[in-house]
Amino acid sequence: MVVSLISIILLCPLAAFAIFALLGLAKRNFPRQDYLSTAAMLVALVCSFLLLWEVVPKPEPHTVDWISLGKITFSMGFYLDSVTVIMLIVVTLVSSLVHIFSIGYMHGDPRYPRFFAYLSLFSFSMLFLVVSDNLLGIYIGWELVGLCSYLLIGFWFEKDSAANACKKAFLTTRVGDVGMFIGMMMLFARFDTLSLYGDNGIFTRITNPEYLTADASGIFWLSIAGVLIFCGAVGKSAQVPLHTWLPDAMEGPTPVSALIHAATMVAAGVYLTARMFPILTPSSSLVIAYVGGITALVAATIAIVRFDIKRVLAYSTVSQLGYMMLAIGAGSYVAGLFHLTTHAFFKALLFLGSGSVIHAFHAMHAHHDEEHANGEEHKHDDHSLVHAHGSEIPSDQDMRNMGGLRRKMPWTFGTMLVATLSISGVPFIFSGFWSKDKILGGVLGRAMEWNSVHHYVLFGMALLAAGITAFYMFRLIFMTFFGEPRNQEMHDMAHESPWVMVVPLLVLAILSFPVVNKWWFNKDNIIRPEQPHIHAPQHAQLGPDTKIDGANFGIAFFGISETEAAEEEGEKNTKKADDAYYIHKLAHNIAMVLSIVVAGVGILLSWLFYHRRRFSAESVATTFRPAYNLFWNKYYFDEFYDGVLVALTVWKSRLFAKFDLSAIDGIVNGVATITRQVFAAFIGFFDNRVVDGIVNRVAEVTWAAGGRIRRIQTGAIQTYLFVVLGGIVLIILIFRAL
Amino acid sequence: MSLQHYLVISAILFSLGIFAVLTRKNAISILMGIELILNSCNLNFVAFSRFVTPPENIDGQIIAIFGIVLAAAEAAVFLAIILAIYREFGSIRPDEVDTLKG
Repeated sequence: MVVSLISIILLCPLAAFAIFALLGLAKRNFPRQDYLSTAAMLVALVCSFLLLWEVVPKPEPHTVDWISLGKITFSMGFYLDSVTVIMLIVVTLVSSLVHIFSIGYMHGDPRYPRFFAYLSLFSFSMLFLVVSDNLLGIYIGWELVGLCSYLLIGFWFEKDSAANACKKAFLTTRVGDVGMFIGMMMLFARFDTLSLYGDNGIFTRITNPEYLTADASGIFWLSIAGVLIFCGAVGKSAQVPLHTWLPDAMEGPTPVSALIHAATMVAAGVYLTARMFPILTPSSSLVIAYVGGITALVAATIAIVRFDIKRVLAYSTVSQLGYMMLAIGAGSYVAGLFHLTTHAFFKALLFLGSGSVIHAFHAMHAHHDEEHANGEEHKHDDHSLVHAHGSEIPSDQDMRNMGGLRRKMPWTFGTMLVATLSISGVPFIFSGFWSKDKILGGVLGRAMEWNSVHHYVLFGMALLAAGITAFYMFRLIFMTFFGEPRNQEMHDMAHESPWVMVVPLLVLAILSFPVVNKWWFNKDNIIRPEQPHIHAPQHAQLGPDTKIDGANFGIAFFGISETEAAEEEGEKNTKKADDAYYIHKLAHNIAMVLSIVVAGVGILLSWLFYHRRRFSAESVATTFRPAYNLFWNKYYFDEFYDGVLVALTVWKSRLFAKFDLSAIDGIVNGVATITRQVFAAFIGFFDNRVVDGIVNRVAEVTWAAGGRIRRIQTGAIQTYLFVVLGGIVLIILIFRAL
Repeated sequence: MSLQHYLVISAILFSLGIFAVLTRKNAISILMGIELILNSCNLNFVAFSRFVTPPENIDGQIIAIFGIVLAAAEAAVFLAIILAIYREFGSIRPDEVDTLKG
């Protein structure tokens, strides 16, 4: 039952893509590729929900052997626990809604069927990644989603900026993937397998001294492997310093940004890190936590000064992904996964909402009419302003052209407001508050438990980032929906989007309330992720909090109140020394109060700056010119890469080219000259005089001899016969004599 | 009559045939010489079959029959060639057909 359900989930989107691909060979499109792909996703969604009830009680791997090479066997298979199922539901749900939204948003695009086929392929790849029980399968899915991301960012490849952005995304993530592959190979070298679960999986063998000793060298080795695996997540989840591709990825169609670059693919890095949690040592965890914390803060500060509505959201995504990484690095991996889930819904909603706004403005450019007029020719004059580094903004995405849209687009405004309240951490009724609080509490709890300066610093960064998040998100809302229209012409053209676009917004808005999540499941079915295999001394330190969070994941996610959660935790931990538990309880309370305060301050400042206009953002920017420049130029990451890495590569290439031209070509030309002037001349002489001489002499002799001998040929048969007879007689006589 | 008698007859026939082939100026006569040579061979086959091999083995006689058949076929082809030569050269004297002379 489980296997057939999972097969249906995987095969539906794959079949939708296969139909496109096979018909594409015949240079035809399935006329209703959009409905086909959407239906496939809806089937997968239903199956995911069915799977929920199947799997929750007992997680188990289902594997088959795939490739046997000598003694090594690679298996392929599914591992289904509650985390997998939650991810399946998130992916299929967001994917379905994005499919529906795209039917409206992409209407009239000349490559409309191809868009849906790509979405299907992406959904398949992502689901495959999620359900795989081994690193090889995860890696296959990982590269496939990277490919789909590349294809979809570059969907409007006529635009130079989109073509550049997709290449940038592909290459940047590849940098991380190389690290991940090395990490995988390190694990493989040590454990002789890439499977994670089961008796022969990595997580079992990690406890086996035969494979890994718990001494300093073993832990060091494991730390390196963990950090290298995390490199893949850094690339895919756009963590500092490989985050620069994600904002540029906004060149893709907005539904793609919502599905791939907000809700699912970029979260795959977080998912991977959480999956690999059992092999993370304290040192690699600390690296992960710092990368996550720095990412959260850096991206949040950059988001403050963006004017492109999609780029604000892109940096916000980077920042939130940093949060999740921070949570995993601090040991609260369940909080990280929980934030992943809530974030997937509200960030997809924000992106689709921004897509709705852009769609509303798009009509002004007579985008569709132009397309129809020009047939296949797809013009995006309105996008041609976009530079790969985003210094110029297409007018329909520029928040400075918006304003006062809340009356024009009430549904979009309402749903986006819900998502904004959720991401800002407005307390109690929005899901984002619970997950963010869980992360902040987890980090602070770690700091208090270990009395660790590192984690206090990380908590400070996370808290600051939370405040900034609230600020820039409300800045977006105020600039877009409140105030007076800044561009009257565009404002007049704006309109509410069609129902196929509004309905997905509404569904996602409902999903931003935790109460709904509670309605999904009754309390008996609370999702409890399997405990990581905590064995070696270095992991024991991470123990208590993981367990507390393990219980909390479902509790917070499904909206059960803190007291209920506390009771459950209390029951679970009675046998434990309760210190760690009470420290974490205290930390969560402190973190909750602080997060409410910073969110409130952020929203208040945003209101004063951008709604009441009590302060002028411009004057503040002038006062703190250096900081503003730093944020505006995105910490000069792109410039750094251009100036150092790209320039180094170019310089190195020039050097090599020079070496090639002078040294290699010189050698080749020298050899050629010597060959031609010396060897060829000598051989030519030999050929002309000796070889040809012999041949000519032979010919002359033959010619002369022939001239004489031909006289024997008299032409009279009887002469010949006589000679033959004489010959025979001669032969007989000779044989007689012998 | 012993084997020698036959062999002597056969040798005489063979020699006459060779003589005819080498000396006659008419292609038809040459053909007749060739026939003599073939028949001397046939005679040899039959003679050896009669006197040397066991009586139940009649391979020699059979081959002689084949030889006669072959001679007939060969004569047909030969005459066809002579006819063609006559059309081409206006003569059937072999010493006049010397286009291949070196």
